[in-house]
Amino acid sequence: MSGNSSWMNSLVNRMATSKFFNYLAGHVLVPYWAWRTPVYAQHGGPRATIPPGDNMQRMMNLILPLKDKTAVGRAKAALAIASNLDEIYAGLDNVGTVHFARFVIIENNMCMISSYDGDFSNYIRDFVAQLGTVFDSVVALIEGGDDMIPTKENIDAFINWVHDRDVYQIPDTATDLLRYGTIGHSAAKADGPDDLRLMPRALILQLHKNPNSLLGSGYRGYPGLSVAQIRHKMGLGW
Amino acid sequence: MSTFASRNAFDPADVQGNILRGYHYGRVRHLILEVHHAAAARRWLGQCVSGHPDAPQITTEEHWTTRPASCFNIGLTYFGLKGLGASKASLASFPTEFKAGMAGRSVKLGDIGESAPNYWAEPFDDPSKVQLIASIHADDLVELDRVEQQVVNAGSGAAFILHTARDGWNFDTDHVHFGYKDSISQPRFIGVHDPDNHADGQPQAPIGSMLIGYPTEYQGIRYNIPQPDVLGRNGAFNAFRILAQDVAAFEAYLDTAADELLDHPLSEELLALGAEASFGPDVSRREAMREIVAAKMCGRWRNGVPLALSPTTPNPEHEVSLTNFNYEDNDATGCPYGAHLRRANPREAAIVQRAARHTRRLVRRGVPYGKAFDPAKPDNEERGLLGNFICASLGGQFEALMCDWINLGLEDPQITGSNDPILGANFRETSWFHIPLKSGKNINLQGFPRFISTRGGAYTFLPGIPAIRYLASL
Amino acid sequence: MDEQDMPQRLVDAVIADFPDHAPGTRPAHTIGLGVTGYFRGSPIARDYCIAEHFQGHNVPVTVRFSNSSGSPVQHDGWSDARGMATRFHLQDDQATDLIAMTLREFFSPTPEDFLEFSKEARPRPVKPDPWWRKILDMLQLKPPNPDPYPGQNESGAPGSLDYANHHRSAQLAALDAAMLGAPVSYARATYNAVHTFIITAPDKTKRYVRFFWQPVAGVEVTDPTAPPVDDYLQGELRERLRDWPAEFLLLMAVGEGGDPLLDPTQAWPLHRSRVVMGMLKLIEIPADQETFCEKMSYNPGRMTRGLEMSDDPVLAARAQAYEVSRKMRGGSPCPFSKG
Repeated sequence: MSGNSSWMNSLVNRMATSKFFNYLAGHVLVPYWAWRTPVYAQHGGPRATIPPGDNMQRMMNLILPLKDKTAVGRAKAALAIASNLDEIYAGLDNVGTVHFARFVIIENNMCMISSYDGDFSNYIRDFVAQLGTVFDSVVALIEGGDDMIPTKENIDAFINWVHDRDVYQIPDTATDLLRYGTIGHSAAKADGPDDLRLMPRALILQLHKNPNSLLGSGYRGYPGLSVAQIRHKMGLGW
Repeated sequence: MSTFASRNAFDPADVQGNILRGYHYGRVRHLILEVHHAAAARRWLGQCVSGHPDAPQITTEEHWTTRPASCFNIGLTYFGLKGLGASKASLASFPTEFKAGMAGRSVKLGDIGESAPNYWAEPFDDPSKVQLIASIHADDLVELDRVEQQVVNAGSGAAFILHTARDGWNFDTDHVHFGYKDSISQPRFIGVHDPDNHADGQPQAPIGSMLIGYPTEYQGIRYNIPQPDVLGRNGAFNAFRILAQDVAAFEAYLDTAADELLDHPLSEELLALGAEASFGPDVSRREAMREIVAAKMCGRWRNGVPLALSPTTPNPEHEVSLTNFNYEDNDATGCPYGAHLRRANPREAAIVQRAARHTRRLVRRGVPYGKAFDPAKPDNEERGLLGNFICASLGGQFEALMCDWINLGLEDPQITGSNDPILGANFRETSWFHIPLKSGKNINLQGFPRFISTRGGAYTFLPGIPAIRYLASL
Repeated sequence: MDEQDMPQRLVDAVIADFPDHAPGTRPAHTIGLGVTGYFRGSPIARDYCIAEHFQGHNVPVTVRFSNSSGSPVQHDGWSDARGMATRFHLQDDQATDLIAMTLREFFSPTPEDFLEFSKEARPRPVKPDPWWRKILDMLQLKPPNPDPYPGQNESGAPGSLDYANHHRSAQLAALDAAMLGAPVSYARATYNAVHTFIITAPDKTKRYVRFFWQPVAGVEVTDPTAPPVDDYLQGELRERLRDWPAEFLLLMAVGEGGDPLLDPTQAWPLHRSRVVMGMLKLIEIPADQETFCEKMSYNPGRMTRGLEMSDDPVLAARAQAYEVSRKMRGGSPCPFSKG
């Protein structure tokens, strides 16, 4: 790479990873391009697809900001779970499609993380039918949750409310980033042309809209199996 | 009196008549309309519920002593409500899936590939044009034409644009394409008079599973009432679907499967030697095996006899009930776990989603369309079913049924990962269907294509009579 | 144009992509190393497939690892696809092959498209983008094109990218290729057989499946910021095999309704049922590389009872093209066959 501009070239190469450029990118370029080429904030949770394997062990990651951001608020949330273990266990057993579920407090957010089979709305609807009052006591501690109570009588709105708080899942198939979400571009056009080099920007702009995200659909040790299939095959009953 | 019965009280005059009962006419015509002149359309709606002589009168749930020459009902899509001038707040109060429309929920319903909305027949490929579906039920074409003309004349012809009319007819009494007897079993409702009163081994459904504003089978859960209350209450939601049936492919698959099964080492477990005699005079083993395949896939023999009560022959020695049966002890050696009937309504059989037991029931009202298929003269004409799938919540009932049970098969681990053999979004390369046998073994059928594809459809709201008056007054 | 010509045209198209291709050598994956060992089907493999190598006993194998280029010049350290061709030696001089590579998908869904693609992907002269273009790219939040490797004057990458921008079927492969890197060892990469095969179970159940090899040693690539080394992969493998066998797990993804079963440009979702079909142990590098590597010709269409090709049109075309290529360079279908 001889030539007069080669020092300039290596300077620019170094610049790409410099603090200055990082600052410029994050604080100026991202807002500019977010304005110039807006994208839709994609919904949280997995996309609807037909193949059965896509509908097993789907991941839910709810981020629910606590109203009270002190230790008292966090303790209230912890108690709401701890004092309702029977309700939660029986409810999840009766929903029948949940592999794992856990409640985690992270940075004053109540996080509900689970892996479930089938459709998201059905899962939430069945769960609310089983333990609406527990949901009510948790939702009462969450910012923006008051309008949802009692959840059993606001079931459609509550399912939407929960869906809106399930984090965005970055697609495993990278080109989906180019296809979906760009306003007035590409998705409508049947076949390109695209600019694959803009893929990183597509990701950046989507993460600008969706600050929380699940990176890909996540690893599964035994993909394609439902809770009941595992219980059935392992002789645990269902 | 049960709690449901006491909270079930509704006035039959407030409810459209096609929700809780079947009319049993020979023909139906669905007019697919777009609101052209909103004020004229509203005025006409008012005429339909006020005895106006030139407007067809909406049939209600009220008891009748003499059957009218025709019945008339309407359903409105989201675009229809918008076109009539419903307020933003009111539109926003409808459920998400209704606002998205059937086309917007296509993947959930298995409407993919050639069944995808962009391949639907006009005007369904442009959901914004499908606004009001007016359904006329009658026995003869003259009456259908007469009522259609009344609709077309609405507002001196200015109220609506008629995009298409879809006719269905019972070409063979209660049999549908594929040759099954249909219209056998519907949910029975607590506190609602059921003239047929066939016992069906299932709890009666609370009225809230069909009508909006009442307690549902889900303990404590009420589906949201679209606002204002007068608009939402006593309404119901309907999934209107034009389902094309590939009879030639279906019959061809019965041939293939019958040949395969006759060769199968376990074939005598399905059809004992000589048992074909009970299928009818001169019925060959191959013909009997074809009927077995058809029955196993559906859950009923083609004559309507349920496998659960007559597992080995369509002609049981003693007459059996067509409706009063169950899947006792989780047995599937009669009716397979994956049979259409059992997937769509597992009755008392164990299901994975215990919390959802009995919550996904639907009223199904379908009338065939197209000419009867003649195996002697196979043709490629489109034929199928004009289906209405009615419920209080499309998301909680119709969609839940389609995406978890008809496709995917989550309700029982032994069918999970497979789709309904008749209605499912199947692919020849990957389809499978297990026939459990008494010996504990399974026969696995593979390689069947998708038999039923979607040619159009819409989610409609079936407003109550006060709601129609309300819309007329906007 | 004549359908019959297609296999020859495919081979010619590949050869044309590498101007310094030496006649008599493989048109692609020219530089490689033959290794022998054995494969043992897992205890459950036989429940899925009746093929001989899945019955649970040791089956001798010959594997050829390769760099994907058809050029005789070796650049181990360049980011590029690697190949792993496996011959399972079955009874009675029979054999079946599994051809795999580090890309998860192909650039083309049909042989016709591949002809077009390879025309576009011919090497073009490359030099670093001017500094101002890099800055313009960066201002658009677009990663600047990487500088060519030292000594690299031509590359097929710009043509491939261009093609992919205009042909969506090529996009996943193009993105995958851009992120590949160079493996630290042939034994430390995942190799995908890409095409769909149909397997038959003892109860005659047929399944549409895709195979891939996962290295037991784990996957690792070289440091992309360090200057690339041209010749290390073969030495590394010789060294490695002196101490330990190199092991690969054969995994099989089972396709489902709605998956792109016949389209090799589309990888299947990662959460398809993943079946452990067996373990490969590579033990030694035969001294006679002429017989065990250079003269041997693999073919993705070499099937055995219980294992069939799907109707993937590229698979069918490749099977024919590999045969054309074998004849052109005088390769033998099997080192043990008398033919």
